[in-house]
Amino acid sequence: MTLDWPTLLPLIFAGLMGLAILIYVVLDGFDLGIGILFSLADDKEQDTMIAAIGPFWDANETWLVLAVGLLLVAFPMAHGVILTALYLPVFVLLVGLILRGVAFDFRAKVPTHRKHRWNRIFFIGSLTASLAQGYMLGVYVLGLQTGMAAMAFGVLVAFCLAAAYAAMGAAWLIYKTEGPLQTKAVLWLRAALVLTALGMAAVSIATPLASPRIFDKWFVLPELLWLSPLPILSGILFLWLWWQTFHLPKPGDRHAALPFVTLAAIFVLGFAGLAWSFYPFVVPERLTIWQAASAPEALGIILVGVAFVLPVILGYSVYAYRVFGGKADDLRYD
Amino acid sequence: MDPLILSRMQFAANISFHILFPTITIALGWVLLFFKIRYNATSDTAWMRAYFTWVKVFALSFAMGVVSGVTMSFQFGTNWPGYMEKVGNIAGPLLAYEVLTAFFLEAVFLGIMLFGFRRVSNKVHTAATVLVAFGTTMSAFWILALNSWMQTPVGFEIRDGVVHATSWWAVVFNPSFPYRLVHMLLASGLTVSFLIAGLSALRWLVGDRSESMWKALRTGTFLGAILIPIQIFAGDQHGLNTLEHQPQKIAAMEANWETRAHVPLVLFGWPDEAARTNHFEVTIPDGASLILRHSPDGVVPGLNDYVGNHPPVLPLFWGFRIMVGVGVMMLLVSWTATWWLWRRQTLPRPLALLMVPMAFSGWVATLAGWYVTEIGRQPWLVTGVLKTADAVGPVAGSHVAFTLAVYLALYTTLLIAYLATLTHLALKAAKEGDKSPLPAVLDKPAAQPLAGG
Repeated sequence: MTLDWPTLLPLIFAGLMGLAILIYVVLDGFDLGIGILFSLADDKEQDTMIAAIGPFWDANETWLVLAVGLLLVAFPMAHGVILTALYLPVFVLLVGLILRGVAFDFRAKVPTHRKHRWNRIFFIGSLTASLAQGYMLGVYVLGLQTGMAAMAFGVLVAFCLAAAYAAMGAAWLIYKTEGPLQTKAVLWLRAALVLTALGMAAVSIATPLASPRIFDKWFVLPELLWLSPLPILSGILFLWLWWQTFHLPKPGDRHAALPFVTLAAIFVLGFAGLAWSFYPFVVPERLTIWQAASAPEALGIILVGVAFVLPVILGYSVYAYRVFGGKADDLRYD
Repeated sequence: MDPLILSRMQFAANISFHILFPTITIALGWVLLFFKIRYNATSDTAWMRAYFTWVKVFALSFAMGVVSGVTMSFQFGTNWPGYMEKVGNIAGPLLAYEVLTAFFLEAVFLGIMLFGFRRVSNKVHTAATVLVAFGTTMSAFWILALNSWMQTPVGFEIRDGVVHATSWWAVVFNPSFPYRLVHMLLASGLTVSFLIAGLSALRWLVGDRSESMWKALRTGTFLGAILIPIQIFAGDQHGLNTLEHQPQKIAAMEANWETRAHVPLVLFGWPDEAARTNHFEVTIPDGASLILRHSPDGVVPGLNDYVGNHPPVLPLFWGFRIMVGVGVMMLLVSWTATWWLWRRQTLPRPLALLMVPMAFSGWVATLAGWYVTEIGRQPWLVTGVLKTADAVGPVAGSHVAFTLAVYLALYTTLLIAYLATLTHLALKAAKEGDKSPLPAVLDKPAAQPLAGG
């Protein structure tokens, strides 16, 4: 492989897209997860839960737009192939995102007797969007196959991802709330964690079995040796976090942010495993990142913008999170 | 059914629903900034009350715009893969720059603008408002650059069947872009003016005489009265630009079947493409020649020059007339209301009653205008480069029909909920009037954490 721009640019953009997806999954993961947990909370708790994500969700969802945008602009061929193949799941995802996005605002502005309706829509929208994302991931891992086996695998991943998001949501609540809701969130985290771990294990086992190419990428020496930390470390983090749920919340609210950080680390490890399985394909088994990439000139002009703007975006995103740091209080416009 | 026509309907439904909300947020951001600046300068809390009433409308409209915008970014791929495959090297960077320079800016600072009032200093909050308003406008800049390039593409070459940019300056500042951008920004300003004036008139009608209502009513009315003559001028310039670069669109808008001099202006009529004539037409002799060529014997292009290569005539003809008709209504209503507010400090009841439905006149004109320009590009998706029919994806017609039906049902429901909520917010503000609890305005950050309540 020669290191010239036509080789490097698609690689860089694959990396950027991966980064955008990872940030999206972690950030929108917690607010989708809180939407899933919404059905388990009472009225007052629901208001607090919304307050814990209200200032952030818009910006969180923008990472999805960036990820799809990068797919669209950097790999136009793949964009068409993937999204036409996933036509219906994408549609379900969009309807879910639309419903939950507007429910956020409607629930706070409609007359009180209609608030319940929008709360339910918020839950349903969040759950559908999460399931749809998981399903798409599952089908995508298998190279966009159709057929019962691929669909079943998609359903498995769908529930795994929804559980993972719920765990993220619970972890965010532990960080952002206090009192009875925080205690409740610890219990939610414990339950969701078990489901997530089971799901991740199932996906890790099923993926190489379903795809001979992925099997060959993992189970050869010496790759197996230096890949083995990924599953082992994930397992350790899971166990440790699960054990932590028996001790949280701690006096003085110590370690309240720990569950979220640990889960984010698990997400990163899982994501690294997936990335290794896909590379160098952007559409598994069909298109490599170089076959699907835009012209180097077009990628170059985007890269200039990304190089300047992305650090700024990260900077002011961190600033916004700091402004709304600490425990969530009532959301008000003044 | 035919996936092409279904996909077109779906995209039209989507983008029509989407554009309603950016049209509001682009200009409303600046109006909110105006409210804040007036408050900072005068310390009159009525400005702040106006701000807090309208920031809720902004938040709701923004959310509607975001979710429908996300939908659109996916639909490029799900329904129109041929588009990015052919012109991705141009459309890609423009869309990427929109996300990078505009989308993130508005989304991140929106949180601070909406909920950060008591967490940051007044200055930082004002800055956040500026950044959100700036972000929405930048968003319009990039999207209109791309849309205009699709109308009047320049600055590119085709290699191996794929479009490559040769001059980015030419791509962005393509011939129709400056006109379209100005026309759309003014349209946004007018939409917001009439929305604010209309909902304030509703408050006035139910007996609200609070200072914040008057301030909003005057702001909306005066802004509309200032912008509408500018818009009429800008629209005329845009029309002349279209005549130069897309004459077939003008020919269809004017329903002019033959290229000739002394072309009459068809005020009303029913264009018949099969018979190539207009039924029941009411015309002004030499009118079109005068408007488009500033001379009665000016030659106006006719549809006979573009057989098989011009857009459908009926929707363009009527879309244009609806837009112009609404514009004339806007002129009459805003100037009359301005006179009353200026000289008599009140409104006659019938005028207030007329202003309430006019709250959404901006939407009608904006949609009608966009239908003219977008349908007017057909049969091309990118003029002279890519036909719409060649960009559609391989998705089965039944799938598209199903999703289209659900989108339509969803959008209708959301639109009803949106309108009901806007009315509810206006009536609630009317009921509270100047008695609504005063916002906690501080010039320095409040100690954290703050108790709610």
